[in-house]
Amino acid sequence: MKFSTKGRYGLRAMVDLAVYSKGEHVALCSIAERQGISTNYLEQVFSVLRKSGLVKSVKGAQGGYILAEPPSDIKVGRILRALEGPLSVIDDKADNSRDSETGIEQCIKQCVWDKMNEALNELADSVTLEDLVDNYRKLVGMENTMYYI
Amino acid sequence: MKISTKGRYGLEALVDLAIHSSEGCINLKSISERCGISEAYILQIFLILRRAGIVESVRGAQGGYVLAKDPSEITVGDILTALEGPLVPVACITGNPKCERYGKCATYGFWESVMNALNEVAYSITVSDLVEYYKNNILSKNYEIEYYI
Repeated sequence: MKFSTKGRYGLRAMVDLAVYSKGEHVALCSIAERQGISTNYLEQVFSVLRKSGLVKSVKGAQGGYILAEPPSDIKVGRILRALEGPLSVIDDKADNSRDSETGIEQCIKQCVWDKMNEALNELADSVTLEDLVDNYRKLVGMENTMYYI
Repeated sequence: MKISTKGRYGLEALVDLAIHSSEGCINLKSISERCGISEAYILQIFLILRRAGIVESVRGAQGGYVLAKDPSEITVGDILTALEGPLVPVACITGNPKCERYGKCATYGFWESVMNALNEVAYSITVSDLVEYYKNNILSKNYEIEYYI
């Protein structure tokens, strides 16, 4: 049971963007360098994030990306859903080999998977990008600075 | 982030075993027929569950499998962990592979809380909870449907 690279790298890149943006556009290559993720891959990730309205892009020499909303308004759940689809511990589409749902399957779905999904979504929607940024600043010993968004 | 077929089918097969355990030893063929999972796959799963001390095998003509302990002492977390490994949303939480960002990762704390939330759910549900729910909520409903046909 693992999140894909897209979700993992995308979330880390969003925190990086929020920390280093300071009201200006950030070039993907600088995020790539700091986070050890290839620029090519980040381009794919940010194209998805842009379509979801989480970041805005500017072309040109001073171009790059900026958060579309203040980090306190962006829930981690929104970022992960944009990159991974619905947050669920099981793949509902994977199991078309069996055509009818047995009673035990229904039982496990209602008692286990639905409960795990509920916990997962609730948690992801209770944490904002700002929470992750604050935490990151503490970890790397950066002073709290104002956001200019 | 998805739980694999092994974990899903394993949980189904084990609940089936628990439901029918009053009949004594259960052979894999009958579980296979009721759950719609191939016998070979169930055997593979039960070998793992046997090593984990969750089921016991009984040899002989009337042989098959029984639960190794009381269903109230087996949790969903035990079963899924035996079949899937630790329930972690990202591999780095287990410290393997070792990550150079450990201690200064922007998202580690979030993933850790996801892991804790999922484990809390998985280890709070026992096999006996599932059997009871099945009998009270699924089986009774299915009977009602049959009556009206």
